[in-house]
Amino acid sequence: MRGSMRIRSRIAIRCAKITAAVIRKLNRGSGVTLPGYVARKIDPKILSVMSEMVREKIIVTTGTNGKTTTNSILAHVLKAEGKKVVFNRTGSNMQNGIISTFVLETDKKGRLDADYACIEVDENASVGVFPQLKPDGILLTNLSRDQLDRFGEVDITRGKIKKAVLSVPEAKFILNCDDVLSYSLAQECKNPVVTYGINEQIFDDISRSEIRESIFCRACGKKLEYEFFHYGQLGIYHCQNCGFSHPTPDYAASKIEYSNETYSFEIDGIFIDSGAGSPYNVYNTLSAYAALGAINAPHKRFKEAVESFDYRNNRESVFQISGARVQLHLAKNPIGFQQKISLLLKDPSPKDVVIQINDAVQDGTDISWLWDVDFQYLADSNVASITTAGTRRYDMGLRLKYEDIESGVTEELEETVKTLAESGTGNLYIIVNYTGLYRTNHMLSVLADA
Amino acid sequence: MKLTIGHLYPDLLNLYGDRGNIQCFRKRLAWRGMEAEVVPFFSGDTIDFTELDLVLLGGGSDREQELVCGYLKEIRQSLKEYVENDGVLLAVCGGYQLLGNYYKTDKKLIEGLEILDIYTEWEPERLVSNLILNSPLVKTPIAGFENHGGRTYIGNYTPLGKVAFGYGNTGKTGYEGVVYKNVIATYLHGPLLPKNPEVCDWLLERALKRKYGEEQKLMPLSDELEYRANEYIVNRYNDRKYVWKEKIKKHT
Repeated sequence: MRGSMRIRSRIAIRCAKITAAVIRKLNRGSGVTLPGYVARKIDPKILSVMSEMVREKIIVTTGTNGKTTTNSILAHVLKAEGKKVVFNRTGSNMQNGIISTFVLETDKKGRLDADYACIEVDENASVGVFPQLKPDGILLTNLSRDQLDRFGEVDITRGKIKKAVLSVPEAKFILNCDDVLSYSLAQECKNPVVTYGINEQIFDDISRSEIRESIFCRACGKKLEYEFFHYGQLGIYHCQNCGFSHPTPDYAASKIEYSNETYSFEIDGIFIDSGAGSPYNVYNTLSAYAALGAINAPHKRFKEAVESFDYRNNRESVFQISGARVQLHLAKNPIGFQQKISLLLKDPSPKDVVIQINDAVQDGTDISWLWDVDFQYLADSNVASITTAGTRRYDMGLRLKYEDIESGVTEELEETVKTLAESGTGNLYIIVNYTGLYRTNHMLSVLADA
Repeated sequence: MKLTIGHLYPDLLNLYGDRGNIQCFRKRLAWRGMEAEVVPFFSGDTIDFTELDLVLLGGGSDREQELVCGYLKEIRQSLKEYVENDGVLLAVCGGYQLLGNYYKTDKKLIEGLEILDIYTEWEPERLVSNLILNSPLVKTPIAGFENHGGRTYIGNYTPLGKVAFGYGNTGKTGYEGVVYKNVIATYLHGPLLPKNPEVCDWLLERALKRKYGEEQKLMPLSDELEYRANEYIVNRYNDRKYVWKEKIKKHT
């Protein structure tokens, strides 16, 4: 039985690799999901087989925002500790993508050489993935509205994650206790819980965003009282009716300061002078520290590792095109987009902005979330021009129009970028949602000054 | 001229960019030199409907709808009087369901406001789609998005429109929403009004007429971008080839 399983797994791995090679040869996209699909069709248990080959521990990261960054920090720190780490660096976090990550990492004999696996998991995929990976730690970053056409409601997403967590009751559950949706969820599970949080107010008004998820007590249904909000529903809360309240976090970031466009802070008595430019990354760093601590993974070199970590992570890239500084940013839900607007406001120099909004399945086919972003702040961000692109360019333009902000439209993104790079302010921001990222990144790399 | 707009329970019902509907009311009045005062009413606030010219009841998740239900009981009578006195009301998604007698979910029965004699029942398959209607209220097709687990049965009420693409009230009847007196209740978000300015103006004209008496004809605005955004969705789903492609993609 065991023998036959292995042959089956080996065939699955081999076929997945051939698939990946063919995709690369044909130059059809980045080829991160199909190999996994092939492997799973041949061996439905392939993910369990792969996870058993991980020598030490497995951490999974899920939640609405910050998954990819947090997962990269975890992998980066563990590597600095001398561990061999397998992780889904491209952020392909559905079941097939995760399987691809594992199988494409194996040697010729189909063996995996890894001490740790750090795996980012899509919220919807968590139910299928967690029981197969049997993680030692589950890190939940936060919960907020995202791709509602796919997830239905935030409560449905929360329910799925709960089911996934309950399926692995021994895993340590590491979560952000400033988020009442996450913290109350942990109380409904029997897993050992480790919390992290920030007790200082570090987010500016612009990144705070008025739209938030339910701030009504999960226990009794009454409205929660907040000392203050970080952003969204995150903050320091308590219920006057039933006594449910924000706990003292097991891990906290303190002495948070912003200077020279980056944040420094202290965790567990360790001073960290990070390269993080946004307060969200303070959270991401803190959560990684808490997760490593919770599962007893090595993190003596956390400070050095994090201080050399590049937070931009493929999702923010800078190019020089015709002498202009061109930045590419990914923003795919209201809280993520708000963060980008806050970033634009931190740059006082004149700028041109291109916003590309697509509505393919991976982006979310419902673009109503654009109206949950506080775009009015763009009016004060010293923009020389705003151009909208993508399949829903008119909707994006309309969103701006209803803040009395003028914009133009383009169907030829490449031409627009060239023109703006040559005769614009020399400071161009391009903000795209999911499906625009790969192609735009490629286009900008080609245009970039040699 | 000035309209006072009541935004009901934005702390509980704020899904799918409902805020865009408020913004649309506000700007389309302002661009015509009129004033809009938006008053948010949070859960527990008392509401005097006689001071309101326009009311928005938005959508929330099933859980939030249940919570809001308790607060609604307190305003049931005064909202009903407002509606019967030709008060202008836009109810979207969850708000639409709450106007009826009840919403039966898989777990419980959520009592409604009983302002419309309609009811909603939950089914496991959510109806999620771009949605296009042809409505006698306006010349241009109405375009938006729907995302609901509930099926709303409207009896003999006049629907907002006939479904040209998407599911609508139940996914079967071919109709969407309800129009009753000066009430529009619908599953359409996107949000509804910015891409469908004629619907916004329909509501504004009625609110102005109710407040200032004589027939109100609103000054036309340059709605090019509005129509472009609307047309994009309408044309896309007029294209049979595209519709098939999307269907195939969905199932693979």
